Amino acid sequence: MDEEKAKVCFVTTGATAPFTDLIKAVFKTEAVDALQKAGYTHMLVQYGTAKDVFEQSSLNALRHMDGNTPRKPIRIEGIDFKQGLKDEFKLARTSNGLVISHAGSGSILEALRYDVPLIVVPNDRLLHNHQAELAKAMAASNYLLEGNTDNLAPSIAYSESFKMKKAQFPPITSGKHRETEGLEAIMDAELGFQD
Amino acid sequence: MAPPSTSLLTVTFFLALLSTLLVAVSLRLIFILTNKRVPPPKWRKKGSPTRILIVLGSGGHTHEMFYLLRDLDTSKYTYRTYVVSLGDAFSAQRAIEFEKELEEREKQRARKESENGYPERKVELGGKGAEKRTPHVGPESYDIAIVPRARNIHQSLFTAPFTSLRCLLSCFPVLLSGTQQLLEPPKDGFEGVSCDLPDLIMTNGPATAVIVILASWILRFFDIKGANSRDKMRTIYVESFARVTTLSLSGALLLKVADRFLVQWEQLEGKGGRAEFHGILV
Repeated sequence: MDEEKAKVCFVTTGATAPFTDLIKAVFKTEAVDALQKAGYTHMLVQYGTAKDVFEQSSLNALRHMDGNTPRKPIRIEGIDFKQGLKDEFKLARTSNGLVISHAGSGSILEALRYDVPLIVVPNDRLLHNHQAELAKAMAASNYLLEGNTDNLAPSIAYSESFKMKKAQFPPITSGKHRETEGLEAIMDAELGFQD
Repeated sequence: MAPPSTSLLTVTFFLALLSTLLVAVSLRLIFILTNKRVPPPKWRKKGSPTRILIVLGSGGHTHEMFYLLRDLDTSKYTYRTYVVSLGDAFSAQRAIEFEKELEEREKQRARKESENGYPERKVELGGKGAEKRTPHVGPESYDIAIVPRARNIHQSLFTAPFTSLRCLLSCFPVLLSGTQQLLEPPKDGFEGVSCDLPDLIMTNGPATAVIVILASWILRFFDIKGANSRDKMRTIYVESFARVTTLSLSGALLLKVADRFLVQWEQLEGKGGRAEFHGILV
């Protein structure tokens, strides 16, 4: 049997609030089809407290994929929560895969350090949230892709070609502030450390 | 003697006292404020002892703070105090890990230097070649100060002033002398700064930061331990990377107060006439 190369899509829903809409969104038939089309072999989902939602929707997705012959069904695994997702981000990175994440700034910052294509999905149900703003601004700078819970398939399909145009993060220079001084220079100036 | 006149006298006396105090306070505030707005570019020798105070907050703030400080040079920032809220074991843990990373980095640098037989050159534009640098890492170079929370999650707004006051009071000793109790007089300047007022306060907006900076202002106001005359406790506020178009509550409160107010999105540049944008810093 030919050993197929693994390609991992890691989905993280965050630690604070359960984000069931995202779990449902990644297992929608269109999204799963898009993942299969892009050659994904594994899905790893950090579902938080919403284990029942994860189990139900992943089951539906598996049933759907069974009918999707001749494609091999994607293997689905779940974790509830763990401190630090370093290994998971690395797995997505080394398998030339993808991360789909909630829009918390901590996850965004961590995922981007691993230089992995990232689709960020803001949680519309959170009140007073600035997550959508952040996701939009980051997407405008080509650091990541902004997705939504209604339809993730286009973002997944686009993520393949996005790998080529993804901007480096953290940026070395930015726009008109090309001669920008880093935080260290500002701290030095405040303390009077001068060259 | 008619009794009303004395009471009248008392009232007038207090009114006079009050207005005198008010004038004195405003004069003093104006003095400090105008003095601080123009940063005196005093020259400080690299490698001289400094103490910086880093205010940590809940998960997100703490994460961002350590991204901000990732390149911290311990040969310049020789002593660090991390302020952590009571019960926030995560932030305390992260501070310890961060210090271990700093230590490890210096060990690797030293190893490399001994292998090469010459100090690693730091190439800079207009560089002056390698300077002798002495890193300050390890348990003697930092401490973690724990203060009670200014406001607990879901705490009623009525009791918030009391808990904030308790937090404020516990900030004074942290600012004045830190948590390291020296049994003998400090043997050198580096030990000396560990129990002196911090030179710099770094924060990115947890509620505790507002209280810490308020405390620093009270000390500056009364010039306690030379807080103002020695130009101690300059403050740098970095608004959260998550704030794109609006400031956080802490940010709004500290916008006019921090010596340097940095934002990470261009949309916020110039807020309050002083928010600076130098690109994304995290």
